[in-house]
Amino acid sequence: MSVINYEFRNEVLKHNASLSYCYQCSTCSGGCPVALITSGKYNPRKIIEQAILGLKDKLVEKQEPNSWLCSTCQKCVELCPQKVELTEIFTLVKNLCFESGKVPEGFIAQGQAVLENGVAIPYSKAILSRREKLGLPEIKTAPVDEIRKILIETNFENHLPKGVE
Amino acid sequence: MAYDLFLGCVIPARLPYLETSSRKVFEKLGIKLNDVDGFSCCPDPTGIELLDHKTWLSLGARNLSLCNTNGGVVSFCSGCVETLKGVNYAINKDPHVKEEVNDVLKKVGKSYDGKVDVKHFAEILYEYIDKVKAYVDKPLEGFRVAVHYGCHYLRPSEIINWDDPFEPKTVDEIVKALGAESVDYEMKMECCGNPVEKTDKELSLLMIDQKLKAIQDAGANCVVVVCPACYQQYEFNQRELNKQNESTYDFPVFYLSELVALAFGFKPEELGFNFHRIRPTKLFESIKFTP
Repeated sequence: MSVINYEFRNEVLKHNASLSYCYQCSTCSGGCPVALITSGKYNPRKIIEQAILGLKDKLVEKQEPNSWLCSTCQKCVELCPQKVELTEIFTLVKNLCFESGKVPEGFIAQGQAVLENGVAIPYSKAILSRREKLGLPEIKTAPVDEIRKILIETNFENHLPKGVE
Repeated sequence: MAYDLFLGCVIPARLPYLETSSRKVFEKLGIKLNDVDGFSCCPDPTGIELLDHKTWLSLGARNLSLCNTNGGVVSFCSGCVETLKGVNYAINKDPHVKEEVNDVLKKVGKSYDGKVDVKHFAEILYEYIDKVKAYVDKPLEGFRVAVHYGCHYLRPSEIINWDDPFEPKTVDEIVKALGAESVDYEMKMECCGNPVEKTDKELSLLMIDQKLKAIQDAGANCVVVVCPACYQQYEFNQRELNKQNESTYDFPVFYLSELVALAFGFKPEELGFNFHRIRPTKLFESIKFTP
């Protein structure tokens, strides 16, 4: 049994009021490439419906449908006749998943790479020599301390699970 | 004209040969690119943003705060462009967001006013299309190109504010200006599936398989992309799909800058074509193209 969580609904609405414009026409799901390929198992309309109803347990705990399957292609946003900012709402849902530690590993790995290196892909020795062969300049990326300071300030570092590869 | 160059992560640290062709093309066109020290990850609009929006905004604004060339900043990557344009959009739309972001930046002694102009490299090539045409030394005759725009090059259109979100023409026009043919295909406007890989690899493969099938059915002989995520999705997965299924995909995948560079007369060796997993040599032979 799902429990309606008004607090959660209000949190989403406060973050993005366009949620209340949705009249569940399903244009979003009709244009969604992931809905098409999963025969509707992933379904943007359903995620919005659950957000309107405040079903936090479905969206964040059980992840049914799984917001992490959104390909971020932004077709739904473009097609929505009511101008609901769907992907922004999905981002909020996923941000809450991150706070609760319910995130696919690949995302965590990227977060850790940025925390440790300032960039998502550190320059390996092989790449540095390849760059030199290609006549490309040396790149000075961001000071790691400075990036870490920002990630501490935004609480990102705090939410990042420790010791996951 | 001069621009600051925002390289991002994937191209310089994994696919540097795509950077080579891009730099060569800009140099040839007389557009100066300034390398800037101290950029971080843009950050990834299909990664970090989904973990924490405020972190995404803050790192993006920090990157933009380092730019100070008149033309603004250009990136070879659609993801970086979406992030940098998106951060500008958010900051300029809501003064509270601007304040919040600047409160974070203050901790590292920086600030950002939201005023740096952001451009995708293809946007600039399109602006220079007459010059591009004039510099074509080796017309790409016989190239039947499947243009893949990708999502973040176009949408959300309110933020990207550039080509049409569903009926784009810019990359097709550039490809045609090089003497190549742009082949229409059924799934042209669909996502390549790369961002889904972090959650469900199998699903992401299904998505690219559909596109490759449509490209094969349409009779194209190569693919062109303007985003490194799309590039990896097309280039790295064809053999894997052939192993899994009974497909016979063998499409060379070009970055737009590589096609332009080829047409300008640069040699495959100068462009690092040997780093491609699917080398275009066979294609060149079959259409009798001598670079």
